[in-house]
Amino acid sequence: MAPSQDPVFAGLGKAMRVGTDLLAALIVGGFLGWLVDSYVFDSTPWGVSVGLVLGLIAGIRNAYRAAQRWGA
Amino acid sequence: MWIVVGVASVFLLKAGAAKSLVPSKLQSLAELLVDFIRGIIQDTMGPSGMRYFPFISTLFLFILFSNLLGLVPGSFTVTSQIVVTGVFAIAVYGLSLVIGFQLHGAKFLGILVPPGTPGWLLPLMIPIELISQLARPISLAVRLFANMTAGHVILGVLFGLTIAGGLLIGWLPFSFTIVLYGLEVGIAFIQAYIFVVLTCVYIGDAIHLH
Repeated sequence: MAPSQDPVFAGLGKAMRVGTDLLAALIVGGFLGWLVDSYVFDSTPWGVSVGLVLGLIAGIRNAYRAAQRWGA
Repeated sequence: MWIVVGVASVFLLKAGAAKSLVPSKLQSLAELLVDFIRGIIQDTMGPSGMRYFPFISTLFLFILFSNLLGLVPGSFTVTSQIVVTGVFAIAVYGLSLVIGFQLHGAKFLGILVPPGTPGWLLPLMIPIELISQLARPISLAVRLFANMTAGHVILGVLFGLTIAGGLLIGWLPFSFTIVLYGLEVGIAFIQAYIFVVLTCVYIGDAIHLH
C-alpha cells in the first residue's frame, strides 16, 4: 500500500490541518479590520469587530470545505 | 540549511546511482519516496499536476530532511524559524497565484466567488473568500513553525527537568523524553506531508477553477 493511502497517516495529516486553518483566518480577518480602522476610515472598534466576525466565518468555511473534500 | 541540502542531495545521488532493476535497500527507499510524492500529486491535482513534480518533491525533501536533522541532539532545526516557513508559504502561494492567472487570466478572480452564489450575497461572500484566501499562506507557515518549535520546547523542558531532578526522580521526565522523541519523529514526517499536500491542493485549485 502506498503510504499516501495509509489510513492512519492520511487521517493524522487531515486532523492536523483544520485547527490552524480556523486560527489563521481569524488572525487575517482581525488584521484586515485593524488596517481598515487605522489607515482607511479611522472607525475604531468597527473595523476590527466586523473583520473578526468575517474571519471566523471564513475559518469555519475553510474547515468545512476541507472536510467536504475528503468526505467525498 | 546548507547541511540539509547537502544531506538530501547525497542521499538521493547515492540512492539513484545504481539504477539496478532489483533495487538495493537505499534505492528502494528512494523509489518509495518518489512514489509517495507521485501518489500525493495524483490524488490532489490529477495527472496534469505532474508538471510540478520537481518543485513539490524538492519542497518535500527539504522540509522532511530539515525536520529530521533538527531531531539530532545539538543540531538546529531550520523549520522552527518562522522566517523560513513563511518564505516557503509565500513562495507556494505566490506560485499558485501565478499559475492561476497564467491559465485563466482575469477569470481567475472568480476564485473569490464560490459557485452557485446568489447575487445579493456577493458583498458578503467576497470579503469572506478574500480572508480565507489570505489565510492560506499564514496557516501554512504557522502550522509548520508551531509544530516544530513546540516539539523542541517540550523536549528541552523535559531534559531540563531530568537534570534538575537528578537520579532520584529524574528518570520520570527522562522516560517521557524518549516517548516524545518517537512522537516528534512522526510529527516530522506528518508536517512535511501536510505542507506538501496543501501545496498540491492550492496549485490544484489554481489549475482547476472550481
